[in-house]
Formats: sequence, C-alpha cells, structure tokens
Amino acid sequence: MALESISVIKLRDLLLVTVPPDPDDETISALQERVLQAMALYEARGLVLDISTVQTLDSFFARTVAETVQMVALMGGRTVLAGMCASVAVTATQLGLTVGNALTALDVDRALDLLNAAPSGARRV
Amino acid sequence: MNEPHQGEFRITSEHDIVMARKVVRDAATALGFGITDVTRIVTAASELTRNIYHYAKSGVMHWRSLNQDASVGLELTFEDSGPGIADLEKAMEMGFSTGKGLGMGLPGAKRLMDELVIESTVGKGTTVVVRKWLKK
Repeated sequence: MALESISVIKLRDLLLVTVPPDPDDETISALQERVLQAMALYEARGLVLDISTVQTLDSFFARTVAETVQMVALMGGRTVLAGMCASVAVTATQLGLTVGNALTALDVDRALDLLNAAPSGARRV
Repeated sequence: MNEPHQGEFRITSEHDIVMARKVVRDAATALGFGITDVTRIVTAASELTRNIYHYAKSGVMHWRSLNQDASVGLELTFEDSGPGIADLEKAMEMGFSTGKGLGMGLPGAKRLMDELVIESTVGKGTTVVVRKWLKK
C-alpha cells in the first residue's frame, strides 16, 4: 500500500480522511502523522475518519485510531468515526476493541452534521 | 471438495500481515463463510500473523479446508521458531503482553474462532492452530 494513497482533505474547518480498505501498519501510522500535521496546518476543529471501506479492524488499527482520537482531542479537535460496516463492528466488539473517545456516525454526511451541530458536549460512545 | 484446498504463506515482513489477510479472506470466502465470519477469521489471522512478525520476526501460516462429519471448516496454523512463550496461561489472558502489543492477539483470536490450540517451547518456537466451522 503506497503511503500516497491516503489524502487528508480540508473541508472548511474540518478534516476528512478516507481510510483505505486494507491498510498495513505503516500506512496506519503514516495516517496518524498526516492527520496531526494537517490539524495544526489548517487549525481544524474536527476530524472525520471515513472507515466505510475498511474490511479488517484489528488491535493495532484500533489502538492507533484511539491514540489519534486522543491526540486530536489534545489539539482541540473532535473525531468522528464514520461508516463502520456491520461485520467489522461485530468483530471489533467480540475482540474487545475500543476506539477511545471517538464520536461515531453511520456515514460521512451524518458525521459532518454531528461536528457542525455539536461544537461541544456531543454524545460520546 | 475434491481439489486441494490448502496452502501456505511465509511471513517475513510487516506488509505480509496484509498479504496473509488477503490469502485468508480468499480461502474463507471460497469455503462459503459469510461476511461476518470472514471478517472474524481474517481479523484473528491478522492478530496471529502480527504476533509472528513482532515476536519471532518470521514464520509460516498454513491454511487448509476441513471436512469432518459433514461439517466444513477452515484451519489456520501459525508456526514460528521464535523465542517461545514462557507462560501460556498468562499469554491467553486479555491485556497481558510481554511486548509492545495490547495483549489482545491470542485471547482475541480465541474469541473470534471456534477452536484455538497453542503449543510453545521457550527457545524453540510457537505453533498456534485455529479453526472455524461453517454453521449450517
């Protein structure tokens, strides 16, 4: 998986990242670094991680997502995980994985609504 | 089910974790597992492959289809010649890790699969066998 395949898109004061379907560990780590750089560069106040095409969420991936959520929070931003498919949700729950304090949404549209509608005190999962 | 449904895959680099997932995904899908079970099996394989890469640096994954008492299943064997596991009982506990992991690999794989058998000798290596049966 080429690292170039991840793009961080700035949407007004939010960042949108589409996670590739089957990223290796290096790609996931690179994603975290790029997100944090973009948070600072664009002074973003939120991040939407679109994981709708992700087929495998294992413990390394989950830990990196949870860490990223925490780091983004320290930089004053909120993260929404958008589009987790049912089979991944079932597996992650059985495996005992958590994604930290990420907000969640069924898709990117709802994730954007959530960030725009709830500057603070949004519901947490 | 007469053609041979088996194969092996060598794990030597971090990227092989992703490649092993693809191999397992194809094998499980071909056997008729549904998307949720495929995801469980692939995720378990991802954890066990990463264990090999992190702790033993290299190893082999074998996969084969099972046909037993009219039940169809998939068996994955993960073999390495790494440092071995001193305390197997502890290694199967959620949250226990001697390395930089989360301590979810082995217990997680056990939860996601129907069977997990592990043998390990310190200084010689570790073999983990997992099986998933197709629900009729």
